[in-house]
Amino acid sequence: MAATLTLTAPVSALVQVDKTAIKAGKVITLDGEPIENGIIVIEGGRVTAVGSQEDVQIPWDAEVIEQPTMTAFPGFVEAHVSRGIDRANETLDVAPFLNVRDSIDPVNFYFEGALRHGIVAVNVQQGEDTVVAGQGMVVKPFGMTVEAMMIKPRSGIKMSAAPKRGKSRATQAQALRGAFDDLKRYLEDMVQRKADGNDFDRREALYQGRELEGEAAKGKPLNSTAWQIDGFEQIPRGEVDEKQEPLLHVIEGNMPVFMWCGSPADVHTALRVAEANGFTKNMTLALDDSCWKAAPKIKEAGVHVILESNLTHRERDPITGKEIETFVPKVYHDAGIKFALSSSNDANRSLWFQVAQCVAGGIPRNAAMAAATSTPAMILGLGDRLGATKVGADGHVVLFSGDPLSVTSHVEHVLLDGKHVYDRSKDVRVQQLNDGTRPPGTVAEEPEEYEGDGDDGEESEDESGDGNDGDQS
Amino acid sequence: MISLLSTLLVPGLALGGVDAPQTSWSVFAEKVYTSTGDTLENALVVVTDGKISAITPGAKALDDSLSATAVTAGLIDASASIHVGTRAVEQSSEVTPAMSMEFGVDVFDYRWERLMRSGVTTAFVPPQSRNVVGGMGVLLKTAGDDSLEARKIEGAPLLCGAIGSLPSSGNRPASGRPTSFYNRRPTTRMGVEWEWRKCLFDAAQAPAEGAGKDVDVLQDVLAGKIGAFIEAYPTQDIRTAVFLKEEMQREGFGEMRLIVDAGAEAWREPEMLVRSSTAVILPPMPSNGRTNDSAFMAANTAKVLQDAGVQFAISADDARTGPLGIEAGLAMRGGLTREEALRAVTITPAQILGVDDRVGTVEVGKDADLVLWNGEPFEVTTRPIGVLVNGRLALDPR
Repeated sequence: MAATLTLTAPVSALVQVDKTAIKAGKVITLDGEPIENGIIVIEGGRVTAVGSQEDVQIPWDAEVIEQPTMTAFPGFVEAHVSRGIDRANETLDVAPFLNVRDSIDPVNFYFEGALRHGIVAVNVQQGEDTVVAGQGMVVKPFGMTVEAMMIKPRSGIKMSAAPKRGKSRATQAQALRGAFDDLKRYLEDMVQRKADGNDFDRREALYQGRELEGEAAKGKPLNSTAWQIDGFEQIPRGEVDEKQEPLLHVIEGNMPVFMWCGSPADVHTALRVAEANGFTKNMTLALDDSCWKAAPKIKEAGVHVILESNLTHRERDPITGKEIETFVPKVYHDAGIKFALSSSNDANRSLWFQVAQCVAGGIPRNAAMAAATSTPAMILGLGDRLGATKVGADGHVVLFSGDPLSVTSHVEHVLLDGKHVYDRSKDVRVQQLNDGTRPPGTVAEEPEEYEGDGDDGEESEDESGDGNDGDQS
Repeated sequence: MISLLSTLLVPGLALGGVDAPQTSWSVFAEKVYTSTGDTLENALVVVTDGKISAITPGAKALDDSLSATAVTAGLIDASASIHVGTRAVEQSSEVTPAMSMEFGVDVFDYRWERLMRSGVTTAFVPPQSRNVVGGMGVLLKTAGDDSLEARKIEGAPLLCGAIGSLPSSGNRPASGRPTSFYNRRPTTRMGVEWEWRKCLFDAAQAPAEGAGKDVDVLQDVLAGKIGAFIEAYPTQDIRTAVFLKEEMQREGFGEMRLIVDAGAEAWREPEMLVRSSTAVILPPMPSNGRTNDSAFMAANTAKVLQDAGVQFAISADDARTGPLGIEAGLAMRGGLTREEALRAVTITPAQILGVDDRVGTVEVGKDADLVLWNGEPFEVTTRPIGVLVNGRLALDPR
């Protein structure tokens, strides 16, 4: 197993000591001002000290990584992405009982690429083409098993207010409401069955292999701001069907929701459904670029948002034909809405690029940086662990060759939980991307999207003959 | 290069007609990147009647100056595919040298303004690469009056075409055997190359006068009066283009001026490009290195060409892919200095397009095509906040 790890990963977990100290020319903590010639000490996977060389004592038995020309950085947090998994979407409309744990592929190139660009945590969620999808999880982009990668299981349930393929906007809204109506009916039926002396639910729970003892044997009133179900307190919680339980957690405020909105109209649907079912407080909206038009409504609802990777919304004035450009993050920034950036992490368009674009678009650097560090950490409920280098936080450090937002800077090293997991000088794929050389011993890989010579599929958009083909970008 | 302030007209005072847009300005920047190798600190660039009339380093901003952190010359995209889709290439024949994009370009297209906002002030539009020899490209300013005459600038005439799989893509019948009269040819890469050689050989052997407009154009290509602007992504197609030029030379037909467009794999054999004095226009840098036509573009491509001494320009290809400034930044990520990247999007494309006497640098006497940036040019944290085209304020920084 260990041999496989060193062969397949671009990096190797060489340093396995418990204590690590990083001496860097500059330490960006995102928890106060940057520190020139700073030191970060990581013990047992957690940051135990951070400060200047005068203030921090390096433990005598710590492994020391000294990089006086480099800049240490806490790493980026990807708030919401549907990559690194087998097919992102289900055909089932409502499937909150599924878990991406079962579809995350630890050796997927996505994770390798994310690590290469200084992303230290990823919230993997199912895709947009759904009504109620499964539960996501927050992982590190490194490890041979899902367990080794895990930061937080059950990070939230993915839902969509935008029409799933084949649905109209009206059917989608109805299906979304229907998922909660079905839950309500199920819980009311449970109460009725219990009153009738029918022990169907108990037998079903035992059949599903549940322990109906201790807490599971107790009944509790429904803890929802929006719903009341008389008599529900008599139902032992363990008897609730495992397929229904995740949505019960949602309406009781114990399960975060990531709600995709493909248009401003969807934002209204999302907020209405959340309001009716009492989960506005644990909902984060994942937004298409066009949704900036719903910013006042979002502000009023007090929810946080995650922006998809295209940050410039473009539309054409239907009368003059003029193109109207809106730099989306600025709208949310100006409205005082907490927003997180996201990227699909292409090599040239990772989170650093998204943050840098925000700076170009007029958002102050600290606020732009927060959108890919502390804000996503807060949204994921990991604000004390991720997004800043401070005592008690997870021992993740990214060493950049320069300013993390400069186009000429590269990620040179990454430490996750104090372990040295990435070294650019040993990353064979970086070398290949940079100068085209194929390292000795590697096999030339055929491009995945090879179309073949003379194939007419490649330029299919031109076949339409539509002069305005620029709109599809 | 730098004339004295005393010689200039007072900027801001209206010149020309009452309704004519203002074409006289003063622009102040902490840094002016001139594209001539100089970076001027705290410089005042004075624009009079659409031309740069004075540049004074170490100056102070005037009351009515436009201000920016940095100023560069207007960017030049040497291969901007702003045209009307498949209608932008004539398909009545594989070889249509007499066609001109002048009649296929739409100055009302909204993408011109998008290009301008990204800092591009001059763009060359070749016909679409679905023909082997598509026709003459056209060079336009990205802003100004909405007419071709007002936008067009005369540069080196360039005959555009393609080598590779793109001109033959889709040239097969939907069903039946591929021998029917009705299906388009060529159907292979070999056939594309053969069309090129055939048309050039035919032109070389045709009479000098009276053989038709198509032949006239091709004869001018052989004589080097019209440049051959050939799209070729993989190295095998770049080779074919270079070998075609060298073959014409050996046959004594003349010396072609060769420009390889979209030369994604130019990094593989830069010495071949130096040997044949071939200029290269690089396509936008794809994130995984994979471009059209199954070519692989290494991240350090621009650096390799720079070190080998190949004349190259960076293109964003299309307003859809991303701003040209970002492409220049990605070339810096691959190893170019800011100065080298700047040249590759200003003066070098101007030289390739034959308009370096008018645009491409910040120098007295040149067209007042200027980009005002809110930081160091080509960083992702920077964007154009103002653009002047022919002295007209196309994007207002105020």
